[in-house]
Amino acid sequence: MNIKTLEQIIKNKSSKVEFAIVTNLRNGESQVFEPGQKLSGDFDKFQKEVENFFKSKKNGIIENSDIFIETYIRPVKVIIVGAVHIAQYLVDFAKSLNFEISIIDPRGYFATSQRFPDLKIINKWPDEAFKNIETNENTALIALTHDPKIDDPALQHALKKKFYYIGALGSKKTHENRCQRLKDAGFTDEQIKSIHGPIGIKLGGKSAPEIALSIIAQLVSETYNK
Amino acid sequence: MRNSFDEKILDEALDWIKTNQKVVLATVIQTWGSSPRQVGSRMIVNENGDFSGSVSGGCVETAVVRECLDLIKENKACKKIEFKVSNESAWEVGLACGGEIAVYLEQVN
Repeated sequence: MNIKTLEQIIKNKSSKVEFAIVTNLRNGESQVFEPGQKLSGDFDKFQKEVENFFKSKKNGIIENSDIFIETYIRPVKVIIVGAVHIAQYLVDFAKSLNFEISIIDPRGYFATSQRFPDLKIINKWPDEAFKNIETNENTALIALTHDPKIDDPALQHALKKKFYYIGALGSKKTHENRCQRLKDAGFTDEQIKSIHGPIGIKLGGKSAPEIALSIIAQLVSETYNK
Repeated sequence: MRNSFDEKILDEALDWIKTNQKVVLATVIQTWGSSPRQVGSRMIVNENGDFSGSVSGGCVETAVVRECLDLIKENKACKKIEFKVSNESAWEVGLACGGEIAVYLEQVN
């Protein structure tokens, strides 16, 4: 691989561009493919196959050839509401699991760079913050404040946009009350049931990193269930 | 759905190159049977035999490092190697899991 190709791969990854690396296994030559782009040189006759691999997000060798393709898809976007203690551990886990995290918290004393050195916290109310975040059914929401003023608008947004994972921290009682409020706001039972509350899989742990682990485990599991 | 569980090995490769190390990329390009790592899994090796990442569950990494060092020594651009089920010879490297993998080695230049 040419160092220029490697540099381009790293650049594409950091700017969240989806792409594929196409390698000729016979001579080690490689090219970066982006959707809509024409391949050049020896690769041009494999344009269609490369596009097909890219569409199916697969890695592998094109049949009866020496061309290897590795696709890079954008990481899943995870929005955390509440820059709380658990969120600090979620950020750590998410880094190695390659989720793309945004944290929203309107409370300035939580949203400090000292608590989250590697991440810019969106210091706004959820309604305001969501105006600048593109979300869809491939987005996940983790609501951690258990304060209805902050969590509820975020949950409502996530339900309307059909996020594939919605989790909300809080006891069974807190969650019952939350469900009632959402019902009063006009959401259906089916929608409300899609919220994971109390959040996380049962690991038995009570500390902040243990709760973060149970949340991230549930998130990973739901990511591959869809 | 899938997430891109990118292990950031290529990011590390670029860091190594920036500190003037020679880097060989080793990538799993084909698997048969119950191989430990999926196609696209990577490790990188420098001229001192330091390595990062993985192409198996620890079964063949030593052999891959050796092959990468040979590639640097012979100054070859690329090479494909295959690993099969380990046989009775204790000295032969193989996959205890019963799978087979093909690993592609290439120098970054």
